[in-house]
Amino acid sequence: MRVLDRKLLRQLRSSWGLILAITSIIAVGVTCFGTMASCYWNLTEAMSRYYAQCRMADFSIELKKVPLAELRQVAELPGVSEIRPRIQFLATVDLDGVAKPLNGQVLSLPDRREPVINDIVLKRGSYFTDRRENEVIVNEAFALRHKLHPGQWIHLLLNNRRQELFIVGTAISSEFVYLLGPGAIVPDAEHFGIFYLKQSYAEDVFDFDGAANQVLGLLAPEVRETPKLVLDRAERLLAPYGVFTTTPRCDQPSNKFLTMEIKGLRSFAVIMPTIFLGVAAVVLNVLLSRLAEQQRTVVGTLKALGYTDGQIFGHFLKFGLVVGLLGGLVGCIGGYWTAGGMTALYRQFYEFPELTNRLYPSVILGGFAISLLCAVLGSLRGARAVLRLKPAEAMRPKPPRIGRKTVLERIGWFWNRLTSDWRMVLRSTMRNRMRTATGIFAGAMGACLLSSTFMMVLGLSYLIDFQFHTIIRSDVDLTLGDERGEEALLEAARLPGVDRAEPQLNVAGTFSNGPHRKKGAITGLARGATLTVPRNLEGRPTGIPPDGLAMTRQLAETLHLRRGDWVTFQPTKGLRQPFRAPVLEISDSYLGMAVYTDIHFLSRLVHEELAINRIQLSTDEDPKHLAALYRDLKQLPVLQGVDCRTDMIRNLETTLVQNTYASLLPMIVFAGILFFGAILNSSLISLAERQREMATLRVLGYGPWKLGSLLLRESMITTLLGAILGMPLGYGLTVLVAVMYASDLFRFPVVSNSMVWIATALLAVLYGLTAHLFVQRAVHKMDWLEALQAKE
Amino acid sequence: MTTSSPSATTEATIRLRAVDKTFQMGQIAVEALRDVSLDVYRGELLAMVGPSGSGKSTILNIVGGLDTVTAGEVWFHERSLAQFSSAELTRYRRDTVGFVFQFYNLVPNLTARENVMVSTEISCNPMPVEEALRLVGLEDRMDHFPAQLSGGEQQRVAIARALAKNPELLLCDEVTGALDFATGKRVLRWLVDLKNELGTTVIIITHNAALARAADRIIRLRSGQVVETKVNDEPMPPEEIVW
Repeated sequence: MRVLDRKLLRQLRSSWGLILAITSIIAVGVTCFGTMASCYWNLTEAMSRYYAQCRMADFSIELKKVPLAELRQVAELPGVSEIRPRIQFLATVDLDGVAKPLNGQVLSLPDRREPVINDIVLKRGSYFTDRRENEVIVNEAFALRHKLHPGQWIHLLLNNRRQELFIVGTAISSEFVYLLGPGAIVPDAEHFGIFYLKQSYAEDVFDFDGAANQVLGLLAPEVRETPKLVLDRAERLLAPYGVFTTTPRCDQPSNKFLTMEIKGLRSFAVIMPTIFLGVAAVVLNVLLSRLAEQQRTVVGTLKALGYTDGQIFGHFLKFGLVVGLLGGLVGCIGGYWTAGGMTALYRQFYEFPELTNRLYPSVILGGFAISLLCAVLGSLRGARAVLRLKPAEAMRPKPPRIGRKTVLERIGWFWNRLTSDWRMVLRSTMRNRMRTATGIFAGAMGACLLSSTFMMVLGLSYLIDFQFHTIIRSDVDLTLGDERGEEALLEAARLPGVDRAEPQLNVAGTFSNGPHRKKGAITGLARGATLTVPRNLEGRPTGIPPDGLAMTRQLAETLHLRRGDWVTFQPTKGLRQPFRAPVLEISDSYLGMAVYTDIHFLSRLVHEELAINRIQLSTDEDPKHLAALYRDLKQLPVLQGVDCRTDMIRNLETTLVQNTYASLLPMIVFAGILFFGAILNSSLISLAERQREMATLRVLGYGPWKLGSLLLRESMITTLLGAILGMPLGYGLTVLVAVMYASDLFRFPVVSNSMVWIATALLAVLYGLTAHLFVQRAVHKMDWLEALQAKE
Repeated sequence: MTTSSPSATTEATIRLRAVDKTFQMGQIAVEALRDVSLDVYRGELLAMVGPSGSGKSTILNIVGGLDTVTAGEVWFHERSLAQFSSAELTRYRRDTVGFVFQFYNLVPNLTARENVMVSTEISCNPMPVEEALRLVGLEDRMDHFPAQLSGGEQQRVAIARALAKNPELLLCDEVTGALDFATGKRVLRWLVDLKNELGTTVIIITHNAALARAADRIIRLRSGQVVETKVNDEPMPPEEIVW
């Protein structure tokens, strides 16, 4: 080994504390990169394989009813390579041992096994047999949750009739990787399932002989990315059969959530490492500058001996590279390991036949590349400064710093009130600009991460509160199979345990304002409704206009509408004639893009008498009454779905909120590493540079605690300044995340309160104090007598 | 004032002509040399004496290629050091010059052997490391770190490091300045032996005029100028010098 390399190794060993601090920061950055990038590839590859295996549809068209013979013209459209008609309905599920009626979606499959669009992957049991017509294949998640297995019987309410079905198997499908029930934003395997019926049986039970109400299709490769034209033509062809929705794959709910998550991973694989590696580079820069300055004489001697600038530069660069390599190695291992955990977490939400964590050489190489890049960038400045000196100049003591007054010293009334301790602290802080700026930058990044994480936790809790305690206030929502009149409302009000029943009419259709179009629905509410109360962001009710619309802000912005503008709506039910209505109120919501109006007004617009297809119930809390209510609901043939608000809240809390809380601890640790590493580095360097000064103060009578307090005050100033600057950055990061994950179905609220900022500041102070313990230890251990005599 | 030395050749290895050197120390300009002209002959032991701030170290740094002149000419044989590129200066320092510093300038986390290796690893014609250390009497202390060596031993390591290159020119900056009396005389003896046995041109700078009595020629400096150049017809053996 060359002697300079030996010198390097010994230097690394003697600076192990500082190396550890910087390596930790790099390692965290590379871990974040490795985790996000690995999960990105895990999900992307699993998705690609799964979609290919199940022949995932490129589009689906939901319509009222179409004869199969009429679908030939759709199949022959240019750009369409294959279609598959399907029967699909919502249903309620009556399980033995479960008090509440559950919700389900029924889909038809060919009687005999053949590859189809949106195919299934059998998990247990078998495909349909010839033994009986009323066989069913249940989706695996629902089956597992309710301990259903092949050979059991279940009951579904199909087409107003209670049907008994025999489970032959369980399965999963690529169209339900992220299985969402109607109106849901998180999977709820306990309350929503998918039930596959034989095509022949479905035709029979739903009176759909030779017909379908859903068309799935595959597109030719050249139009796959831009399907709009083809889908518009298909929609026009099928318009006489009552098209409800036309959904390209990119808008298919499961695919949308999955691709959004994958996109988010790609973004975070850049954002998070940048924060950490940026801090690491800056901290390494300070350390290496100090090292080069400390070894000024050695550098001069090496130059005097005949070493080239390149050799000396390479020697210093190796220091940084070792730090980068170590950080990269730890980070790559950490990233792989954490990706395994995160992939396991994903398996809770996303149902794949196989979702495993793999080792990707490109991710490993990428991790090392970014850590080495960080190390090189951090080492450049420090090494370059001393190399510029001639050998003789390098061996001379550094000329004294220019002793100008700092800005604060010019404020006489302030400066004159300070003790000498504070003057030393403030001068040192202001004269070591690079070191102070580094500390502030690291503190800002740490505070940014902390405050952003706190805001996300707060935001989710706020979302649940806003949506499910201020807007939606019903206990149970009933979805009817068809429109009913007022008698359904009266019947519902008479159910056991019901305190109040309010009607709703949901009409799906297309909104348009000039060139701007958006599919959606209008919900008609009763005048004075209390179980759904549209509100604005401040929480104030916007009111239900008697002859106009209250539109969610998101939808209004999409359609370029303001209060007072008129919008055209083309309903998909009734006479399906478009009408125009004024937007009289703008409401806010974090889920969906609801539009509200008076139920009578809406009924008139769709040329109906008072029509009700949804009833909201407010119930008492008596468990006996609730049990009786659920018993009765199970027997109601008109029901298509039953939703309990408490179930939705619980599901959100156990999935999104708990997982967000789970990410809180790692973020606090990561932020701590940033603060800790930067403070420790800066304080120890400061102590090393000012050994003689510190020793002199000892001679004058300063004790080690008083000496330590000087360094503590310096680090607290930079920490707190950094924390203050980081808080608005955290707000900005939260806004960025909210924008990234915003969709028609879900928007993340950006909320903060004083606790967010107080907690961030307190944690910053705590990290600073913890780092200072090590610094104080170094002050106690300092041989100040030797420091007074030593020549550096 | 004669310019020739009894033991050296008349060939001038180094020639300085009208050399000025000004330093910028923060906001202050320091004129270290003013119109200095001198010659250094091959194989001589030249002593440059003068008080602190007289410019001795500055001349040594310029001769050693560690610094450049503000004005004037510096010739090494027939080549102008002022025209040397950075790479050429580096090669000059590596192949031609051995430098011994007043405060040794050893690398603290390398042993005595490794400090000498720092020099030999880049030299084109180095002496074996062990031989260099044996020459200065440190064969038993090769694997000690500088913190484990006395001042004199550290200076000897520095000399060994310079010698190991087999330099044409050995430059010694206050080489006995940080040493006790006895050790200083021993170091002086090694330098004289080196000059006599290997024919190395040795320049020592010192503020201690007594040391100069061992030299072949003495150049006296004051306030950045040469005030006297004297040939020492009978250099005194270092053992007899007292200061």
